[in-house]
Amino acid sequence: MSGVESRVLIGLDRETSRRNFLKTAAWTGAALSAMGIGGFGVAVRRAEAEGEYKTYEGLGDAAILQFAYQLELLEGTFYAEGVNAGLFADAFLEQIVAIRDHEMAHADAIASTLGELGAEVPATPEFTFPSGTFGDAKTFLELAATFEPVGIGAYQGAAPALESKDILAAAISIHNAECQHRCAINILNLINPPNDLAFEVALPLPKVQAAVKPFGITG
Amino acid sequence: MEKHTINVPGAHEFARPRTRRDFFKSLAVAGAGATAASMLVAGKASAKTDDVDIANFALSLEYLEADFYARALDAGVLSGDALGVVENLASHESQHVDALVGLIESVGATPVSKPTLTFPADAFSSQASVLDLAATFEPVGVGAYLGAAPLISSPDILAAAGSIEGVEGEHVVAINMLLGVVPYANEAFPEALTLDEVSAAVAPFLGGEMLSTGGPKLSPAEMYRLGHV
Repeated sequence: MSGVESRVLIGLDRETSRRNFLKTAAWTGAALSAMGIGGFGVAVRRAEAEGEYKTYEGLGDAAILQFAYQLELLEGTFYAEGVNAGLFADAFLEQIVAIRDHEMAHADAIASTLGELGAEVPATPEFTFPSGTFGDAKTFLELAATFEPVGIGAYQGAAPALESKDILAAAISIHNAECQHRCAINILNLINPPNDLAFEVALPLPKVQAAVKPFGITG
Repeated sequence: MEKHTINVPGAHEFARPRTRRDFFKSLAVAGAGATAASMLVAGKASAKTDDVDIANFALSLEYLEADFYARALDAGVLSGDALGVVENLASHESQHVDALVGLIESVGATPVSKPTLTFPADAFSSQASVLDLAATFEPVGVGAYLGAAPLISSPDILAAAGSIEGVEGEHVVAINMLLGVVPYANEAFPEALTLDEVSAAVAPFLGGEMLSTGGPKLSPAEMYRLGHV
């Protein structure tokens, strides 16, 4: 079991003793099961594709970007609220602020690209987070550790389905930033060593959709 | 609270280079970079470049990284957090080598063999020297994958490249942690490199003349910067 996985499961165990178990389990559990967390994080000694990208084929670049835009807003909002809640200081705060700014910059870049394509920029969804998310740093960081692999999996899954090579170049740069975030969140979660994956994991579209639906993204 | 100012590029600014021909144009330039690049494409400089060339180029970079970290572990100069991080780095890069060899063989092509690698004399003399060189290798690896990915035709090979590209980004972050760079993840849009830039950065380690002739002794950071001239 990888550090990430064990950490998440420990987090869930802890939640079982809390009064808001049903609520939190419904949210976090939905996100994790949607990601297929049972097999997630296992270091597979291969780099073959399993065809996740096929679930994004036919959507078109604009629709993929519209979905990615909402994912970035979800992440950016999550980190902004974490900063505003005053949960962090020093290096922790600097990292959370940086990730917040990255996610918002990703959203801006995607919106600008959608404009170039003549496609609609989606309205900002009404995001909702499990109760207690912003109550303490540990709970917040545990959720962060579940968000980043969703973003990674979405970009990695979608990339081969993108038609424009320019948009692909932008998407994989953002993908790399999300992977860097995953490792940085590992550091903040005191996972040591934090670089605990040999291969990043792509996610098929339905798993990404199911993972983010509880947070308010229905597109 | 520090506010980070991020330049938000348009998608068109990411694509560099735009064509495979641009990506491989360094084959025509003079110097060690061109020599190394020619070796990497295994005598196919005049042939149509394809996904296999790109995968073989990536394989050479992974051989370089895997060998570097294996030697760093053998040198016995690492301890504490750095030892754990580098153990994983060595393992990951070795797995990337195996994966790329398998990928290239799976399409009926021949993987390049491991290049003869040369490292600066003091590369493994201390933990600091290992981390200094690691901090130059990892962004080159990221930039190489980001630069090459839009040139890959096969979606399956692109998907495989994506699973490795992100890991190299994580390595940058882990090295930043060891070097005390805060924030650890500090790039909103990690940068793509052209083959020219990648080749120039790694040529000194791939049999380039710079070190073996006793030429100007450059620090890893200087060699990396030279790759961007």
